[in-house]
Parts: sequence; structure tokens; C-alpha cells
Amino acid sequence: MAEITATGDRRRLIAMLSPAYLWLTVAVFLPLSAMLFFSVLTALPQDGPDWSLTLQNYRLFLTDPVYATLLWKSLQLGLTVTVICILIGYPCALVLARTIRGRARETLFLLVILPFWSNSLVRIFSWAIVLRGNGVLELGLNAVLPFDVSLNLMFTTHAVVIGLVHSYLPYVILTSYLALQAIDDDIIDAARSIGAGTLTILWRLLLPLSLPGLLAGAVLVFVPVVGSFMEPRILGGRMGTYYGTVIEDQFVAVYNWPLGAALSFILLAVVLLILTLTSPILRKARL
Amino acid sequence: MSRVDVTAVTKHFGTSKALDDVSITFDDGGFFALLGPSGSGKTTLLRTIAGFHFPDSGSIRIGEREVQRVPVEKRDIGMMFQNYALFPNMSVADNIGFGLRVRKVGAAEERRRVAEALELVQLGHLGQRRPSQLSGGQRQRVALARAIVTRPRVLLLDEPLSALDKTLRVDMQLELRRIQREVGITTIFVTHDQEEALTLSDRIGILKDGRIVQVGPPREVYERPVDAFAASFLGEANWLPPSRVAGLELPCRSGAGSFAVRPEALSVATVPAPGKNAIQGRMSQHVFAGAMATCLVDIDGSYWKVIARDRDIPQIAPGADVWLSWSAADTIAVPTPA
Amino acid sequence: MRRPLLPVLGRLWLALILVFLYAPIMVMAAMSFNASPFYQLPFSFSTRWYAEMAGNPQIITAALRSVSIALVVTLIATALGTAASIALFRYDFRGKKVLQLLLFPPIAIPWLITGTAMLIFFFAIGLGRGTPAVIIGHVALALPYVIVTVTARLSSFDITLEEAARSMGAGGWTVLRRVTLPWIAPGMVAGALFAFAVSFDQFVVSYFLSQPGDSTLPVLIYTAIRKGFTPEINAISTIIITVSMAIMFIATRYSRFGGER
Repeated sequence: MAEITATGDRRRLIAMLSPAYLWLTVAVFLPLSAMLFFSVLTALPQDGPDWSLTLQNYRLFLTDPVYATLLWKSLQLGLTVTVICILIGYPCALVLARTIRGRARETLFLLVILPFWSNSLVRIFSWAIVLRGNGVLELGLNAVLPFDVSLNLMFTTHAVVIGLVHSYLPYVILTSYLALQAIDDDIIDAARSIGAGTLTILWRLLLPLSLPGLLAGAVLVFVPVVGSFMEPRILGGRMGTYYGTVIEDQFVAVYNWPLGAALSFILLAVVLLILTLTSPILRKARL
Repeated sequence: MSRVDVTAVTKHFGTSKALDDVSITFDDGGFFALLGPSGSGKTTLLRTIAGFHFPDSGSIRIGEREVQRVPVEKRDIGMMFQNYALFPNMSVADNIGFGLRVRKVGAAEERRRVAEALELVQLGHLGQRRPSQLSGGQRQRVALARAIVTRPRVLLLDEPLSALDKTLRVDMQLELRRIQREVGITTIFVTHDQEEALTLSDRIGILKDGRIVQVGPPREVYERPVDAFAASFLGEANWLPPSRVAGLELPCRSGAGSFAVRPEALSVATVPAPGKNAIQGRMSQHVFAGAMATCLVDIDGSYWKVIARDRDIPQIAPGADVWLSWSAADTIAVPTPA
Repeated sequence: MRRPLLPVLGRLWLALILVFLYAPIMVMAAMSFNASPFYQLPFSFSTRWYAEMAGNPQIITAALRSVSIALVVTLIATALGTAASIALFRYDFRGKKVLQLLLFPPIAIPWLITGTAMLIFFFAIGLGRGTPAVIIGHVALALPYVIVTVTARLSSFDITLEEAARSMGAGGWTVLRRVTLPWIAPGMVAGALFAFAVSFDQFVVSYFLSQPGDSTLPVLIYTAIRKGFTPEINAISTIIITVSMAIMFIATRYSRFGGER
């Protein structure tokens, strides 16, 4: 790598970097900063000349318990989904990384993360077909079981959780797997050679050594789940009102953009707080 | 401390035979080196003794106990790995104490024995460090302490010194030998470095293609190799062309087909040395290397190597005729042709 | 050959997870071939919904729009992202760490926030909703993926190759075209496929930025689902997920994303 010396180099560097970063600035960083500005307006400037600065939107968040309650509900949803993803995904990563070898492992790993890269809306939609009353799951279970079951899972919190776990589970598996497979086989052999059994190795070596990866996965699940709105809308029905859906409403139904901006900005603050607090872990996981 | 008996062990990986009917005994308290080229099965043999692989057939005894079906964690062994394999998430003391904690010896006893082990490897002050804060040589010592603190019945070393640079490696060889003597533990040591094997061990086993070629004390294996492979693998050998055999005094071993001479057994001069075997060749190169020097002498188109003190090699111009002489007793005879 | 940890249970667990991940997709795909409009069983095979889908101008326009947007996004994001990756790899300068860190907000911040922020900002600067806004947004989301993928490929590039080419008299442009670009080509292909997938599958940002009646395929599907969906949506969804999985499958082959050993 070259230290910048000549002016020619500097010009080339700027020419190569600025298009990408200017684009990111215009499309991401300026909008995010602008959101703070719009969140303290009474009305949008483009709608007319009658606008002024106000803290009303933030005051509303503090005084009307609806918003704080919904934010809390979304955080709880995030926590639930994250915990389930860890409980299901970590053992799976463990099996993939430590017991399966060679080509089979590569293929299985690819199979696990492939849905993650496919269309999330369509995957949520597919759950709607499976979970709906009289849907495939119910019919299937009734065909197999001797007694009748009526699941009524659709439009419940359970449905939302199932859909979100399905959406984000591969994150936890991906990050845990990368951390687990980076552990030197000799370390495990060394532990066995001095008498450690499976559980000791898991508890004292594999888990602590892969913890950064696991926690990174947890953060990567938690953050988008807190900001989710499409999944609760489709699978939650009337039960699916969350902080994210309220923000959506401000922009597409109620058209109170300043309030939407304020709510979005509060969510952004929460997300940035979480990311900052966990950034040492994320850095350690080297993602 | 126990002796280890490997009897008729065969091990396949898929269709390839990694160990082929291997029988070998490691004496109680001895320091044994397993030597061989890569793919010879030396590491497989070590890992089979450790219990990472189970043999397809044959038996392994550590002391009086049959262990060929016992998993590694139940065999009561200590092992040191090429890259040390220290647990990066634990302090030095926790690394060493790991095996004791697994054995539930109790906190006080664990502390005492960890301290003792740290003293033994001369790292008494570093117990609270992390492995990442240690030098290569220090990690080495921690790995050794961790392997012996549980007082295993046998210590297995898988090329433990190969990651160190040359000077440190010589220091560690002496250190390893000192500690092994002090503890008196049966030690089996895999290496591809013949010099290391000769320096450290009481006995050497040479492997090739999953079979034991020769077992014996270092000097015996070096001076009396059983075949051409052993002769060439452990040290260097100059092979005597059959056309030059006439008139030389050679050992009569039954079935001996080929003869060789070690480079350091040869002397170079313009005339043959009296009372010794000698053959004539043409001086090719004289390479000065400080105290020692190497010369290459052309014998019928193949080069013989001579290693001697530089002052013992006369200054002879390349291309001139020279005589190589050696004592008849230094001739190596092996049955199969080289 | 180590003894696996609890091998049978582990494999069973893995199998169950694969069922969980794929079963709903399979069901959806199967139902798109079921004649009954109400997903009734027993199953009777029919391609009726695909025919109806093909005859639905709304779906076809939206699909074409999605594909063309994704192609434009792929082109822009790959070009800009590759240039930035090479610069980040080749030069050392103050602020480089910050620039690398700036790639993460577009990935890590929920798209709901990014999308609504873009909506407000684009209105404020007079751009408003519509396909240009969608493209600008998608490129921004795709850029970090391209940069990360190409950088990963570059990390195995031996910079002395460039120096060797220069020592033989090749100019900057020749070095780039004949030495550097051929080396990173697989990374660029993978990055381009990621970019295409990010754009083609993108729902949230498109949802806020596209003009009503001028929407991309995912937005159309979302609206249709909320209105009470028909099996045509099944058909198009099945096609989408097949396409996006195929793209990602190829992309991971090119980038060897994770899991090689």
C-alpha cells in the first residue's frame, strides 16, 4: 500500500472515492441528518409557507404513552426474536462448523444462508399461506394427527415471531458459524488430550471463543426486528401494531411527516445507541 | 509413567493405508523420537496412541491398560501441539489448570500444582498473562506445563519445536530434555528434523509408508542403518558405485548389496591415505562455511559430499584428481541396492 | 477424524432447521400450481395462475420496472463501488478508517429509518417520489455490499504485481486494465450480483420512494397481500424467490462468502 505522496496520486484517489461517497452522502447521510431538522417542524416546507420550529413531536412521544408503549413492545419483540434465533441458530452453527466436514458442510452452509439472501417479503408471504386458518399447516397436522387441531396462528403475535425468526435466523447462524469454524482444531484436540469431555469443551472453549460472533449475530437480528413493519402488518393483522407500523402510518396513511420523522429519529437514536454499545463486540467479531 | 506397547496396529483413512501392521514398544521413562518424511504415518501413529484415531486392528497398551477403544480424554495422556494450541480465552494459569479442573482436584491443589508447573518451566511470574502476550518460546513452555501438570502416563509431542527459530529451538531442546528427565515421563516425539531426533532421544523409530523401518538408539541407527532409505533419511550417504567396489575392504554382511560412506567419515587428499579404503575422483567444488567446509567430488559422474574442518581440506583446484579415503569400519552396508 | 459432538442429534437439528427454512417456500411454490383459488386441498395441478399472471399487465409492468431498475442500480453500484474499493485498497491516507466505517450505516440502520429519511429529503430537494428516487436509494444500499465484496477479493491481490507491471513500463491505465481488473473480476461479478439482489428484492425503501401506480414488484405484492391476495401473487412470488435464490447461489460461488475450508 502506498502512502499518498504525489499530487497525481491525490487527484486519482479523490476521483476514485468521491463518486461512491458523494452518492452515500446524498442518499443516506444527508437524509438522516435532514430527518432531525424535519422532526422539529410544525409542517413540511414544501406544503406551504406556514411552518415553524417546534418540539411538539417529541413532546408528544413523551406525553402520549402510546408511542413509548409501542417502542417498548417493539424492543420486546426484538428481544424475543433474538433469543429464539440464538437458541435455534447457535446449535445449528455448532453442528455445521464442528461436526460436518468437507463439501457437505459447504453445501449445507450455503443452503442455510440462501433463503436469507432471497426476497424477505415473499418469504413472509409464504408464511401467510402456511399459517392461515384452514391453511396448509393446519390441514397437514389434521391429516397426520388423530384429533382435530385448530391452530389459528395467523394474525397473532406468534405468527409475527415465527415470520421474523424465519427472516433473521440465518444471521445468527452465519456469524456464529464464521466464529466457530475459525477456532483451531488443535485447541479442541489439546483440551481433549488433557481430559476434557464434550460439555466442558463446549462450555469452556467453543462458547467463549465464538461469543463475539454470536453476539454480533444477535445485534444484527435485534436492530432490524425493532424497526420491522412489513412482517407485523402481513402476519400480525390487528395484533400487528408496532413502533415500525406507526412510523409507516405517518408516512403512507396519516401523512404527518414531522411526527413520522420524530418517531424515526427516536428509533434511529435507539439503534445508534445499541450499535455504539455493541461496537467493541462487532469489531471483535471482525464482520 | 508407563511403558507403551503398540502391537500390530493398522489404520486406514478411506482406501489409503496410514499405518500398516505397526508394532513398537516405548520404554518407561524413555525419550523416543518418531522420524519420517511427511506421509510416513508418524503423526498418525502419535495421534493413534493419543486416541484421536482408533486403530482398525491391533492393540495399544499404556502401562497395563488396553486403550485402543478408549477415547482420548480418558487415556490420561499429555500432548503438545505444533502451534501450541493454547486456549486464547484463558490466562496462562487457567490454561495449565484446565486439565486439573476437569479432574476436579480442588482449588487449593490446583493452585499449588499450577505454581509448581510454572516453576518447572521457569515461568513462575507469568501466570496471569494471556497467551497472546507471550513470546513463542514462552508459549512453548506453557504448552509443556499444561501437558505434564496432570501427571499423565505418557507425553506426546507433535513437532513441538518446529515453529521456533533456530537458536531458540536449540535452547528449547535442552530445556525439554531437562524437564523430561526431571519428571521422568515416557515421552514420544514426532519430528521431521533428523538432527533434533538425534540430539534429544534415547531411541529413534524411522517410519516410511506407514511401516516401521528401523528402531534403535540414535548412534546405532545412524551408524548401522538397516536399508538404503534409513541410511539416506537419517544423515547423508555417499553411495559407492558397484564398479568401484573392487579392491576395497568392505564389511561382510549377509545379503549386503550396497555400500555407503557418511560425508564426515571421508578425508580428501592428493594421495590415498595408507591403510584405508580410497577411491579416486575429480575435485568439483570447495564451499567454505566458517569452521567447517563442504566439498563435492565427482565420482563417475555422481557427486560425493565431504564435510570436514576447513583446514583439513587441502586447496585443490577444481578439475584436479583427488583421493577420498575412509576407514573400513565406517563403511555402511545395506541389503537392498540404493 | 475427530469424534463428532453429539452427532446424530446435531444432524437432526440441522435437518429440522432446513425444513423450517424451506417448507413455507415449498408450500408457496406448490400452491402456485394448485388449481383452487382458495388454496384448497386436495391438490390439483394447474398452470392457470401463471397464465393469469402473464396476462396481468400490472404485474408484468412492475416486473419489467423492477428488473430495469435493478440493472441500472447494478451498473452504477458496481462501477462506483469497484473504484472506491481499489482506492481504499491501494492508498493509505488519513480518514481511511472513517470512510470504511461509513459503509456500515446503510447496512446496519433499519431500512424503515433510511427509507423514510430519504423520502423526506428527496421531497425537500424537489426530487420527490418516483423511479429516479428509487434508483438513488437502491444504489446507496447496494454500494456497501459491492465495496465489501470487491475489497475481500482485493485483499488477496499482490500489490507487487502492479509494481512489476509498472517496472516494465505500463502506465496507470494499462496496469488497471491488464493487471488489477482481471484479478478482481470474480469479486466484481459477485458484487454485481449482490447489488442486483439488493435492488431486485428491496421492498422497504422502494415502498416509501416509489410513486403509487408506478411501483416495483415487491411493492405491488405487498399492496396485493394487504388487499387480500390471489394465487397470481403466489406465482409471481415463486418466480421471484427462484430468481433471487439462483442469483445468490451464483454470487456465493463467486465470492466464496464465508464457509470455505
